[in-house]
Amino acid sequence: MSSKSLIDAGKVSGRKTISPETKQSLLGLAMVLPSFAILLVVVIIPIIQSFFLSLSNGEGGYDLSRYTYLFTDKGMRSNIIFTLRVTVITCVLVMLVSYSLAIYMRFNQGPIVNLIRKTYMIPLFIPGVIATYGLINLLGNHGWLARLIGLVGLELPRIIFDQKGIIIANLWFNIPFTTMLLSSALAGIPSSVIESAKDVGVGRLTLFTKFIFPLSYKTFLVAITFVFMGVIGSFTAPYLIGPNSPQMLGVSMQQVFSVFQEREQAAAIAFFSFLLCSVLGAFYIRSMAEEEKAKM
Amino acid sequence: MLWYWKHVGSRRIIEFVLLTVFAVFFAGPLLNLLVLAFSERWNYPNALPQQWGMKWWDFVLAKDDIVSSISLSFLIATLVTLLSIVICIPAAYAFARLQFPLKRMFLFSFLLTHAFPKMGLYVSIAVLFYQIGLMNTLLGVVLIHMINVLMFMTWIPTSAFRSIHRAQEESARDVGASPFKVFRSITLPMAMPGITVASIFTFLNSLDEAQGTFLVGIPDFKTMPIVMYSIISDFPSSAGAVFSIILTLPTIILLVAAQRLVSADVLASGFQVK
Repeated sequence: MSSKSLIDAGKVSGRKTISPETKQSLLGLAMVLPSFAILLVVVIIPIIQSFFLSLSNGEGGYDLSRYTYLFTDKGMRSNIIFTLRVTVITCVLVMLVSYSLAIYMRFNQGPIVNLIRKTYMIPLFIPGVIATYGLINLLGNHGWLARLIGLVGLELPRIIFDQKGIIIANLWFNIPFTTMLLSSALAGIPSSVIESAKDVGVGRLTLFTKFIFPLSYKTFLVAITFVFMGVIGSFTAPYLIGPNSPQMLGVSMQQVFSVFQEREQAAAIAFFSFLLCSVLGAFYIRSMAEEEKAKM
Repeated sequence: MLWYWKHVGSRRIIEFVLLTVFAVFFAGPLLNLLVLAFSERWNYPNALPQQWGMKWWDFVLAKDDIVSSISLSFLIATLVTLLSIVICIPAAYAFARLQFPLKRMFLFSFLLTHAFPKMGLYVSIAVLFYQIGLMNTLLGVVLIHMINVLMFMTWIPTSAFRSIHRAQEESARDVGASPFKVFRSITLPMAMPGITVASIFTFLNSLDEAQGTFLVGIPDFKTMPIVMYSIISDFPSSAGAVFSIILTLPTIILLVAAQRLVSADVLASGFQVK
């Protein structure tokens, strides 16, 4: 109201004044632009540029040769299949474990639950290299676990330098994060809803399929998106404990870029990994935008 | 023995077994490193070290490149944290309180940092940095560390600012406080927990960042995680374990100091709109 009268006052006196709305707009833009500039330099421009670079054939022309290489080269093709297999297995396992854990923490009380609540997020803050190194020492073929179960005469299968190792490391990194997202979503479900459903005699399974899942499935999908992209774009764990071949895409593009110095090919692999995630990435952005709209 | 288990109930037993597996899975690797760091001799079939001691601590702390990597890492993490506070907090305030054109577009543009697989994004950035001469520079490394933190460093404070009732700010203004005074003595203190968590998360994230630095910072910017890559292949595992503890120590100290503030809700608000 006050702003309107100010504008009117400006009109009446005939002087040129900047209205409070314009001032606020300019101030808001000025506050946001620096961070957007960084975003432009580290995300938007690189992605557009790598798209064009990946299409150049090195002789001044543009074609899809860098991409056809991804599917015709035998090693590259098995890298892609390997990456997808590891990613899908990890996603399924992480979602199963994290959802169960989040539900367990939401609907149970007691000292054990409190202890888990206090500690489950710790791995989020442990440096990835350290966790990976710990896993190498624990699960390696002369590692601690092999020594411990050796006491009772058991033998450990090959885990490190194998796809099992990459999956285990990815579980280690992703379960706490996913559990955090999911338990924050479950905390948003009012206890009264659950209680009244229980009062009218709804069974556990129905409670889950009719109330808990519908009220948290959006976060569930967001969480899958994070895990999926996290695993496809991972480097540290597969670099340190993955097999030499086939490789995960993250390792493979680092090698193509740093060791073979083929920037165009590296850009094509990078862009291909974007395409693999594009559906989920677009979904993530859209669902966040809808959420925000609903709130405003 | 059996009657005891029956008394406890199968549900409790399953719960107990699962939780033990969980604890071993998550704590095992870290515990392993702790034991390794204080062992001097630990030959293969033995389940525990034959000789305990601090030999490897002296070894690691005597290596110049290891010690210099520690100060480099802290320098970079401090720069990244300060820079992101200066850049992101004003943006967060604007998103929470001001009306300006394209506000939604700007707010959601930060999602782009998390809408692409990391290594793919880093390789694209490296391609650009290579052309504009930012490879192997401090600025290049700081910028690549900023990607991961840009979103939650903006979103967590945004949701902190939003959760403050306007009435509180307005009543302060009614009794004659200037807008800046209101911000400094009402808005900022109330948003401080969120800002603190975001800053700590930023600092730790930068200390931990390995993949991007490995791509654009080589050969001059050997931060702690990068040195760790070579320690893993070049040194005995006890030396690596000692360095792991040094690298994890800041995390533990900061987390213990801030544990009251860190919650699933606050952290989750950095990755999704709630």
